[in-house]
Amino acid sequence: MSAALEVSGLTAGYGGAMVLHGLSLSVQPGEIVALLGKNGVGKSTLLKTVMGLLAARDGTVSLFGESVSRLPAYQVARRPLAYAPQEKALFQDLSVEQNLRLGLRDAGSFERRFARIADVFPVLATRLKQRAGTLSGGEQKMLLVSRALLASPKLILVDEISEGLQPSVIGRLATVLREEREQSGTAMLIVEQNVGFALTMADRYLLLKRGEIVGQGKVDSPRSADQLAAQLGV
Amino acid sequence: MLVAPEVLPTYLVNTLIRAFLYAAVAITVDILWGFTGILTFGQSAFFGFGAYAAALVFTHAGFGPGLALIAFGVAIVGAMLLALLVGWFAFHPGASPLYGSVITLVLPIVVSQLLYSGGSFTGSSSGLSGFESFDLSLEAWFRIAGVFLIATTAGVWLFLRSDGGRILEAIRDNEQRCEYLGIDVSRVKILLMMACGAIASCAGFLFACVQMVVAPEYAGFAFGTELLMWVALGGRGTLIGPLIGTLLLDTSTSYLSGSLPFLWKLLSGLAFVVVIVALPQGLLPALASAIRRAWRRGAPASVAPTAEVELHSADPQPLAGLASAGRLALSVKDVHKRFGSLQVLRGIGFAVRPNELLSLIGPNGAGKTTLMRCIADGAERSSGTVRLNDHDIRHSSPAACVALGAGRKFQNANVFDSLTVAQSMRVARTRLKRPSLWRRERALALPTAALEVMRATGLDRQLHVASRDLSHGMKQALELAMVLALEPSVLLLDEPTAGLTKAERTLIGRILLDLTQSHTLCVLLVEHDLDFVHEISTRIIVLHQGQIVLDGSVEEVVNSDLVREIYAGAATPGAHG
Amino acid sequence: MTLVLDMLTTAAILYGVAAGLLIVFGVMKIINFAHGAFLTVGGYAALLVTHLGWNPWWSLPVAFAVGGACGAIVERLVMKPLYKRPLDAILATWGLAIVIGQCITLVFDRGVQFVQSPLTGAIDFLGISYSSYRLFVIPLSLAVVGLLGWMMNGSRLGLVTRAVIMNEDLARALGINTGMVRLATFSLGAGLAGLAGALITPLSSVDPNMGVPWLVNAFMIVMVSGVSLVSLGVACLVLGSAQVLVSTWANPILGGLTIVVLAAVILRVRPEGFARA
Repeated sequence: MSAALEVSGLTAGYGGAMVLHGLSLSVQPGEIVALLGKNGVGKSTLLKTVMGLLAARDGTVSLFGESVSRLPAYQVARRPLAYAPQEKALFQDLSVEQNLRLGLRDAGSFERRFARIADVFPVLATRLKQRAGTLSGGEQKMLLVSRALLASPKLILVDEISEGLQPSVIGRLATVLREEREQSGTAMLIVEQNVGFALTMADRYLLLKRGEIVGQGKVDSPRSADQLAAQLGV
Repeated sequence: MLVAPEVLPTYLVNTLIRAFLYAAVAITVDILWGFTGILTFGQSAFFGFGAYAAALVFTHAGFGPGLALIAFGVAIVGAMLLALLVGWFAFHPGASPLYGSVITLVLPIVVSQLLYSGGSFTGSSSGLSGFESFDLSLEAWFRIAGVFLIATTAGVWLFLRSDGGRILEAIRDNEQRCEYLGIDVSRVKILLMMACGAIASCAGFLFACVQMVVAPEYAGFAFGTELLMWVALGGRGTLIGPLIGTLLLDTSTSYLSGSLPFLWKLLSGLAFVVVIVALPQGLLPALASAIRRAWRRGAPASVAPTAEVELHSADPQPLAGLASAGRLALSVKDVHKRFGSLQVLRGIGFAVRPNELLSLIGPNGAGKTTLMRCIADGAERSSGTVRLNDHDIRHSSPAACVALGAGRKFQNANVFDSLTVAQSMRVARTRLKRPSLWRRERALALPTAALEVMRATGLDRQLHVASRDLSHGMKQALELAMVLALEPSVLLLDEPTAGLTKAERTLIGRILLDLTQSHTLCVLLVEHDLDFVHEISTRIIVLHQGQIVLDGSVEEVVNSDLVREIYAGAATPGAHG
Repeated sequence: MTLVLDMLTTAAILYGVAAGLLIVFGVMKIINFAHGAFLTVGGYAALLVTHLGWNPWWSLPVAFAVGGACGAIVERLVMKPLYKRPLDAILATWGLAIVIGQCITLVFDRGVQFVQSPLTGAIDFLGISYSSYRLFVIPLSLAVVGLLGWMMNGSRLGLVTRAVIMNEDLARALGINTGMVRLATFSLGAGLAGLAGALITPLSSVDPNMGVPWLVNAFMIVMVSGVSLVSLGVACLVLGSAQVLVSTWANPILGGLTIVVLAAVILRVRPEGFARA
C-alpha cells in the first residue's frame, strides 16, 4: 500500500533563500509522525510546499500514491487531507459554524458530521453562531482541529498547534488526535517546537535542522518519550 | 530645428509645436511614474493651469511685457503651490499608493470643473480666445517650443543620471527601506511634484501664447490619461521613449483622427491595454530590443550607466550633531502594543548601554519583531516610552528615528533591486551627505564600520553589480552595510542569519562582535539560532507571549529551566497540571 | 420635500451603481475602471430593447446578462495577468473602457438617444409631484442590493466569496478554486453595472460617454466605504445628499465635485472611511 504522504528531494524557499534542501520523508497510512525542530528550520515551509501554497524548486510530493507536485493548492486541498496552519488559520469575522462549513466540500453532510465533533468538543456546539475572532485561544485551536476532522480525512497536517496554549488544552488536543487515529486510522504529520506534546502522540519522530532531516527514531513507550524530550531540549 | 519650419507644411509645423509642448509634459509624467513609481493622472491640471494663467491675464488685464511676466510668475508659482497642496494630500505619511493616485485623479477633475463653472471669467465650456499674445511668427514659435523641449529633456536627463536621481529609483524599488534610511519620502515626492508641476505649467503657458485659445479640456482627466497612454506606449522609465512616443502619437492622431476618428481611438486604446498587460516596458523598448537582437548588439545602456567609484573613509558624524550620544543608547519603559483586542506586547521595559550586544529570543508570536518596530517607529506602540540616546521618540516617523540613532535591518534582505552596490551605499548615505542633483561623484565616503563589512564580505569588489543579482548572503551583507552607513548608535537586526550558509553566519557573527567592541554602538538582535546567540551575545532577553520573562547574561539564560520549558515543551507531559 | 426625495433617489442610484464596483474591489483588491463602460453597455442594452419594441421592463435582465457576459470575457483576457499589479489594473481597465466606448460608437453612432421608460408620469403626494420612475428607483435599487446582500450572506457562493475576500490563501488551502471565484465576482460586478446602466437611462439619456461621471463618483464612494454593503449604503446616503444640497444651494457644477472632494478629504483624515473599526 502506498504511503499517505511521500516527499522526495524537496527543495523550496522564499525569494533567493532556500529553506528546504533536498528533504525526503514519508508518512504511512495510520501513522503519526512528529516533525521536530526550532524556529526557522523549515517546518512550516514544508507543510506549505506539500499543500501547494508554495512552489517547490525541486523534488516531488505524493499523496496516497498520486503525485501532487505541480497541482494548484486548491486541487491538493480537495484530496482526502486536512491542513491546520500555524497562523491566520481561521476566518476571524465568520462564525464558528461558517468556519466549519468551509472545511467541507459538500454542504449536505454538515449536521451528521458535526454531531461527531460536538461529542468531542461540546463547547463548540454552544458557540456555533459566535464570531470565531471572539473565541479564546484554546477554543480557536479546538475549532481548527474540528474543522480538520470534520471531513474525516485520511491524512492531517498540523502546524504548531500547541503554541500559546495552556497545558490542559494541549493535553485535550493530543487525546482527541490520538483517538481519531485509533478509530479512523488517520495518518498525521505533527509539526512542533513543543517536543513533549508531540511525543505523547507520535509513533515516530524526525528532527529537522536548517532544512534537512538530521535525526529520527521510534517512540516506543511513554517513558522513553520523556527521556527523548529531555534529550532534545535546549 | 532651424531649417525644418521653413521646409515643412504649415499644418505639420503647427502640430509639432503642440506635440513638443505635450512631450515636455509627458516627460514630467515619466519622471513621476516611470522613475519614481507614482501613478499620476494630474499633470494635465498643471498644464491647464499654466495655459489659463496666461489666458486670464491677457484677456482681463491686457497684454504687455510687464503683464506677460506677471502671468508667467502666476503660472509657475501658482502651479507649485497647487502641487504642494496636492502633495500634502497624496503623499502624507501612511498614504497608500492607491490613495495617492486617486488624489492625482481628483485634481484634474476639480480643476476642469472649476473652469467650467467660472462663467464669463473663465469662459466656461468655450474657454477663452482671441486674447493678445506675443507677436512672433509660427517658425519662431516652432524654435521656441523645440528649444523648450530640448532644454527640459536635457535638464531632466542630467538630473536622472546624477547621484540625486538614484533616490527616485530607490523610492520606486523600496519605499520602506528609504524611510528607514532616514529619507523623508513624502518630502521628496512633494518637491518632485512641485518641480514637475512647474514644468508642465510652463508648457501650458507657452501653449496659450502660441494658440491664443484655451479650453477646460486641456486641464481635464481625459488629457491626463492620454499622457499616461503616451508614456506607457513609448516606454515608461526611459525618458526618450515617452518623448518619441508623444511626438509620434500626437502627430498621428491629428492627421488620422480626421479620417478615421473612432477606429484610431479604438486602436490606440487597444494598443494601450495590450502594452499594460503584456509589454509593460512599452512598445518602443520592445521594438528596440527586437531590433537589437536582430543586429546582435550588446546590452542597452540604461539612462544612468555606472561610473567609476572610489571608496573612502568618512569622518565620523555620530548623530549628525542632532543629539549627543546618551548614557543609555536605548531605553524602553512600559511599552504596550495592542492590535484591536489582541495584546501583543505587555509592559516591556529594559535599557541598553553602548557596546552591548543584546539578543532577543523567544518562540514565534512572542512579539520580537513587533518590539523592533516599536523602537524604530514612534507611531507603532500603543503606550509607553522609548528613548534613543536619551531622546524620547514620541510619535516620530521611522525617518526621524534614524536621526535619533536607530538603524533597522529587516529580516528578508531589503535592498534596492535595480541599484548597484555603490549606488545603494550612496543612497544610504543621503541623510548625512546630500547627493548632487546633477553630477555623478567619483568619491564615496563611508564610515569605517560600513567599509569593514564591505571588505570582509567582498562587496567592495562588486560595486557595480545590481543588487538583484547578488546572492542572498551578499544582499544581507549589503543591507547591513547600508544601515551602518547611517552611523546608527542602536543597530536593530531582525534575524540577520536567516538563509545564510555556515561560513556566512560565522562571518556576520565576527563582524557584529567587532562592531560592538570597536565602535560606539549597541546591537539589538532578534534570533532563533540559539547557538549563534550563545556565541556572540553579552546579554539575552527572553520574550514570551508579549512579556519579558528573563533578562540576564548568556550563562543565566542558557541554563535556565524556564527557557528550556518555553522552547522544548514540558519534559513530562501534564507535569504542569 | 422634493429636496429630501432628490437626496434619497440620488443615494439609491449611487448605491446601485457602486455595489458592483465594491464587490470587485473587495474580492480582487483592484479598481475596475471599465465599470463605467459596463454601465454604458447596460444603457445601450436598454436602447436595444426599446428598438426591438419589447416591454421596457426587459431591459433590466437583458442589461444584466450582457454586462455579465462582457465581464466574463474581460476577466479571462485582461484581468488575470494583472492581479499582482493593482495600479496597472486601473490603467488597463481605463484603456478597456476607451475600447468599449469606441466599439459602442462604431455600432450605435455617437449621438444622444433615448430609451423608453418602464414607468411614465408622476405621482402626486404631500403636495408635490414627483416622477414615478425616479421614485421607483429607490425600491428597485434597494431590491438589487438586498438580493446581493442575501446572496453574499445566505448562500454557499456568497460564503466562499467572503472567505476569499478575507483570506485568499486560507481559502485555497480549504479547496476553494479562487480563480473561479474571481471570474464569478467580476462577471457579477459587470452584470450589476449593466443593470445600473439600464436603471439610470430612463432618467436621462444614452450616449457613449454616459458612464464616466458615474465611474469617478462610484469609485470615490467605494474607496471611502470599506467592504461592507451596509457602510456603502451609509456612504451613498451621506455623500449623495451632500451632492444634492450643494447642487441646489450653490451651483450644479460644484455639486458634481462634492462627492469627489469630500471623499478625498475624509480619506485624508480617516483612512478607513466609513468602515467600522
